[in-house]
This record gives sequence, structure tokens and C-alpha cells, in this order.
Amino acid sequence: MSAIKRQSAFTRQEVEDFLFEEAALLDEWRLDEWYTLFEPGATYEVPTTDRPNAVPDRSQYYVWDDYELLAARVKRLKSKHAHAENPHSRTRRLITNVRVGEPSGEGIPVRAAFLIYKIRDGNVDSFVGRYEHVLASGDGGLRFRKRRAVLDLEVLRPGGRLSFIL
Amino acid sequence: MATTAPAPNVTMRARRGPYIVEDWDARIFRVNREVFRSPEVFGRERRLVWDREWLYLGHETELPKPGDFKQRALAGRPLMFVRDSRDRVRAYLNACPHRGTILCRETEGNSKTFQCFYHAWTFANTGELVGIPDAGAYPPERSFAETMGLREVPRVENYRGFVFVSFDPSVRPLVDHLADARDYLDLMIEHSERGLEVIPGTHLYGIRGNWKLAVENAMDGYHFSPTHITFVEYLKTTGYVTSDEGGRAHTLENGHCVIVFSGHGGRVGVQWEPRFGDPAKGRTEENVRSIAARLGEERAKRIAETSRILYIWPNLLLFDIEGLAARQLEPVAADFTDVRAWELAPAGETAEERMLRIRILGSFIGPGGLATPDDVEAYECVQRGVVATANDPRPNVDWSDISRGMERESQGEPARSVDEAGIRGFWRHWDDAVGAGAR
Repeated sequence: MSAIKRQSAFTRQEVEDFLFEEAALLDEWRLDEWYTLFEPGATYEVPTTDRPNAVPDRSQYYVWDDYELLAARVKRLKSKHAHAENPHSRTRRLITNVRVGEPSGEGIPVRAAFLIYKIRDGNVDSFVGRYEHVLASGDGGLRFRKRRAVLDLEVLRPGGRLSFIL
Repeated sequence: MATTAPAPNVTMRARRGPYIVEDWDARIFRVNREVFRSPEVFGRERRLVWDREWLYLGHETELPKPGDFKQRALAGRPLMFVRDSRDRVRAYLNACPHRGTILCRETEGNSKTFQCFYHAWTFANTGELVGIPDAGAYPPERSFAETMGLREVPRVENYRGFVFVSFDPSVRPLVDHLADARDYLDLMIEHSERGLEVIPGTHLYGIRGNWKLAVENAMDGYHFSPTHITFVEYLKTTGYVTSDEGGRAHTLENGHCVIVFSGHGGRVGVQWEPRFGDPAKGRTEENVRSIAARLGEERAKRIAETSRILYIWPNLLLFDIEGLAARQLEPVAADFTDVRAWELAPAGETAEERMLRIRILGSFIGPGGLATPDDVEAYECVQRGVVATANDPRPNVDWSDISRGMERESQGEPARSVDEAGIRGFWRHWDDAVGAGAR
């Protein structure tokens, strides 16, 4: 995302509203509703901490879900047999430093910083990083075309699982 | 040789130590839970195993070019994994010989030299000390400098791309250590006539559990169905029904063990499943034909049709499953382990195959996969649970049961992957290496 201009089809406030509503859905584990925020064909990506800028088809990733695998992830997380998240972690997502880029044929590039606290079993783990999303305008407003979370952590430590949505 | 059934005289296998109790007459195999909790046991493991054995350091393809280096810690010691300017793969202690400062502070990179920032001593990547500011303050530079080169890890050996190190100068040759595990390692390497290469992007994560729980979990086909039920259900929706039929566990020499199974998923490049998509079907058949032409039908069948999880004592797990992966265990404390995991691939495969491989293995394995997080939950829940019985005055309460399969195996039946024979093999070796009698 080169030049970040204030001019965009959507204002920063509209994009922030979208991201804040999304964060609330995830923190409340309303995953079916969350999945409707993706347009068909969308992806969800989390690169490894040692290759934060890697392209998914040539690098091992933590998460590289296409629209179908993301549906499977949602279905799994709703199951009582998703042991890593049953019972669910408590999470709290703080999303800030939102920047909206120039829309192109690929969509609207959005960058933001996140800090997610994950609380479970007496541990408070924090996951800090940046979002590099590509949004698109859909019937009901904004939708994810690409949802990409890039961790600033060097290692997933001490909380060694991305069983929740980053 | 691999043992698939207990020795004829099973009473020979009896043991009754403070940590392991084995009694084939009574079909008892128990592990005292102190092995997961005790800092003293952890210290014995460091001294008797990690400071003595061959440890997996990394794969040579992680360092493709002369001058490439990576930082990596083993046995708690910071190391530099280096391909020097003469193309030789080396391992140095990452501590300046002068005063012990961490010498290389970049996680990875490429350099002909390493300079300590503290007093600006400079070392060639071949190990020599090549620069000391104000060298005249020391005895004639050459003789002093010769004693102050980079400290190498005493032993480094490379088995077909897999680089191992040992801190014990008198350790036996690596091939003798690998022994009959070599055949299973070869099966993985032989997916391609050009060998394997590491795919960039390392899974780096910490688990709040003892390292031995990760070994038990990998050698344990029993947990697959209950622990990974959501993954099994996902596969079902893609048109694949899993099975544990015919899986076997083999205890190998020197603490290695392997489970061999089929029916947990297809295998990218060699065994098609519906999820891989129609275009992959023809590619897969053609690839298996070319493996057969290279190695013969029988070997090609083993490579293609069975999955294997191979444990190389003490710190390496190799997965030859939907895709290929290496997982390195670095114990940090009795209750904490760092894990590093790489995906491997046949060198020179097509871009489509590479993309499919990454996607398919990633759906299952790793901290963001649909299965590994449940394994991590298992290790961590055991670690949290085993404190419950510490110092319990009742007999047999502070012991974990690992006897599954002893009854069948006593009747001469082969050890199944869904039983606990592989885990028993691991614990026997552990007991010999670390238990009360070990020195």
C-alpha cells in the first residue's frame, strides 16, 4: 500500500466501524455471523513469524484458509470437540492505527494494528501485530476479500496456538 | 531390527525402577508422573541425553548459499548454523570466545564474517579470528588468535541433508546412532531423486508441557480419533473417510520409534484423495510410476501407500503424512518446550504440487491448523493434570498407564499403531538413559 490518501470510497470511520463490529463478533464467538463478513472466494492468512511478508503458495503459513477451509474452521470452532477452544478462550481485541488505502480493482487496502488478549486456564497471552486486509464493497456494506493478520511476535510463545481467530 | 512383538521371554523385559514399571506377566506398564514435573529429572536429561546424544540441528537446504546463517538454540545453548564461504555446513556456539557475548544477533542472514559488537573482534565464517582492534596488546597475534577462533560444536554430521550435532566429542558416528531408523528416514527422502528441501516459513511455538508429552503424542495412534474428531469430520465432508486399520508401531534401536499407518488422509504427490482435486490425480499416478521406475514396485508402494511418524531420539519428529514435516523439540524446563517445525518437500516438484502440499498439510498441522492445537491442548492438560497426584500416599495413583496392547502382543500379535507399544519403546530407552541406573 503505497500512498495512503484520505480520499476513498469509504471513510476511515466506516472502515473502523466494520473492524470494530468484526472484533465484537469474534470476542463474542458469534462465528456464523462473522463468516458472513467474507465474500465468496475470500481468504484468511496468517504468515509465520519468521517470514511475515511471505507469499502463501511458496511458504509454510500458520493459516492459509480459502473460503471453504474457513467454513470448516468455523464449523470446527463451534463444535464442543474443538478441544483447544472448548471451553472457549476469553478474547479481547484492541484495534487501532487504522489506515485506509486507495481502492483499486483488487479492493480497498486497509491496515490496522491489533493487540489481542487471550485468556484461558490461568494464562493471559497477548498477540500483537498488524492487519493487512483487502476489503470489498458488498450488498450489506464492507466485506473481506483478504483477511491477513501478521504477527509482530518472534515466536508464538508462551501461547503456542492460533486455535482462535487472530 | 524392528521388533513388532515382545521378545519370546517377555519376563526378560520386566523392570521396576522409580520411574518405569514394566511387568509382562501382569500386563503392567506404568510411568511415574514425576518424570513430567521434576526439575531434577530435567537436569539429568540435559546432562545425560542432550549433552551426549546426536541432536537434530536443521536441514542443509535452510542455508542454500555460502555465507548463509541462522541462529538456533539446542540444549539451551545459543548456536549459529552456518554454511561457510567454502560451502561447508558448520555449527558454532553463538558466544564470543573473548568474553562470552552473543556474537551473532541477527536471526538469520548472509555474511562472510561475524563481528562482536562489544570489542569488535571479527571472525571469518570459517571460524578463524581475523581481526582484533589493538592486537599488539596481546602476545604475537598469530599464536593468540589461533586459540581464540569460533568455538565449534564438537561434532557435526549430515545425513542426506539432515544436519545433526553433538556436544560430546566422543559420540558414536551419526549413522550408528540412526541405525534402523535410517530406512524410514530414507523412505521420506526418496520421495524425490533430488532429495528434500525445506519450504521457507518456520512454525515457532512454545508449549506449556514437558517435551516427552510431545513424543508420546506423536507415537500414539490411539488419540487420533477422539482428539482430532473435528478434523476427521472435516475430511468426511470432503469425501474421505479415515481408518486406523492395519496401523503398526515399531520400536527401533537407540530410542527411535515409528508408527506406520494408512487411512488418515491422502499423501500429496503419492496418494490421491478427493480434497486434492481432479488435476492432482493424474500427476500423482505419474509420480508414483516414476518412483517405481527409480526404486522398484515394492519400495514405491511403501513410499506411496503408508504414512509414517518417525521419532529420532531425542529431539526430532518426522512426519511423512499428508505432507512432509520435521518437528524439533527443545526442552526449556520440565514444564515448557519450544517447538520448531519445518515443512519439507521433494526438491524440484512443480509449483502446483508445492501449493497443494502447503495447503493440505497446513490444514492439519501447526499452531494454526485444524488438528495440532488439540494436541497442544492435550500436552498442556496433561502437564496441568499430573500435579494432582504428586506425593499421593496411595500406591499406583501417581502413575500413568501405558499398557494398551500388551495383552494382544503377549499372544504374539503385532503391535498396533492404536496401541501404546511405540510409547513403551520410548520409555524403556528413556529409563536406560535417564532413569535411576543411568550415569
